[in-house]
Amino acid sequence: MSKRALAIALLSFVGMFDALYLSIKRNAGPIPCHVTRGCTDVLTSRYSELMGIPLSVFGLVFYVFVFSLAIFEILGAGKILNRLFWPATAGLAISAILVGIQAFALKAYCEYCLLSAILVLSIFLLSPRPWAHKHPQ
Amino acid sequence: MSKAVKALIVIVLAVAVAGGAAVYFSRQPDRAANTPGTPGPTLKNTGGGHFRGPENAKVTLVEFGDYQCPSCKAYHPLVLEALSRYPQDVRLEFHHYPLVSIHANSMAASLAVEAAGEQGKYWEMHDLLFEHQDEWSKSPNPEPDFIALAQRLALNQNAFMQAMRSPQLQDRVLQDVVRAQQANVEAVPTFFIDGQKQNLPPSITAFVDTIESHLHDKASANTNTNK
Repeated sequence: MSKRALAIALLSFVGMFDALYLSIKRNAGPIPCHVTRGCTDVLTSRYSELMGIPLSVFGLVFYVFVFSLAIFEILGAGKILNRLFWPATAGLAISAILVGIQAFALKAYCEYCLLSAILVLSIFLLSPRPWAHKHPQ
Repeated sequence: MSKAVKALIVIVLAVAVAGGAAVYFSRQPDRAANTPGTPGPTLKNTGGGHFRGPENAKVTLVEFGDYQCPSCKAYHPLVLEALSRYPQDVRLEFHHYPLVSIHANSMAASLAVEAAGEQGKYWEMHDLLFEHQDEWSKSPNPEPDFIALAQRLALNQNAFMQAMRSPQLQDRVLQDVVRAQQANVEAVPTFFIDGQKQNLPPSITAFVDTIESHLHDKASANTNTNK
């Protein structure tokens, strides 16, 4: 079993929990922060949804996708983890934008969103580089 | 069973476990570092402010708020619920703290509520502004929205408009901003109960628990004094 795939599976599992938790809490009144201050401000801001869909739902789809790749790899059902790099790169870019919005537009931070950004960064760093699999002729 | 089917089963189970855990934790009262009721910095008598509830209430809940702040909107029903549960024992003292650097319409909203207050409808406008925050907060010019709300409250429109531009009302709001800064209020909403700064309660239960503990402390203190 690849330790890398296992680590990615664990990180994406935490991400699924985070995204589901936010999706549930978002419409259930105030969202308390423990470390930062401003969870409700961030999670109810106009940047918190796209076409009426909360960003946490997009996050959930991303984490389920990543988790699926890792599980297929772990169970030997397919060597598909090397397809993770570009989606992880896109996820990292989106996370960076969202952290920037928290820092500069909202001036409020949501710890659940920051956790998600850390998870995406970790998944990106762990994702196999596609060029590493190309063997010289 | 093929490996692909096993993988699919693991994925479905994992999503179900994560979902179950998320539902469980989202229903738990918050008991982490931000425990409601934890004594924080204290607030001396600030002066100013608007009051809702009986003057001789046992507990005074001071709120520094911003009408354009989503958190303030989210906490508004909790405040109303607390006031309705203890109509004789709890009084709200509201102070403006418009964070104009991030909420462009917040100062105008504070002026709108003060202008409504000039015609005796402060709290009615206060409630309406939170209820309709989504509508006016995104507008580049919220004044027509405020006028529409004023019309709903049957306010004199000319007097309302004049009052919104009144330097005296602007001063009143700015004095509240100074009070907030003197009280080291760093974010909105910030609540003080009997002068004690509160960490934001995660639910009405936690909010009520904190208020009840203050009521209980007051009752105990009175009993000890009478002995």
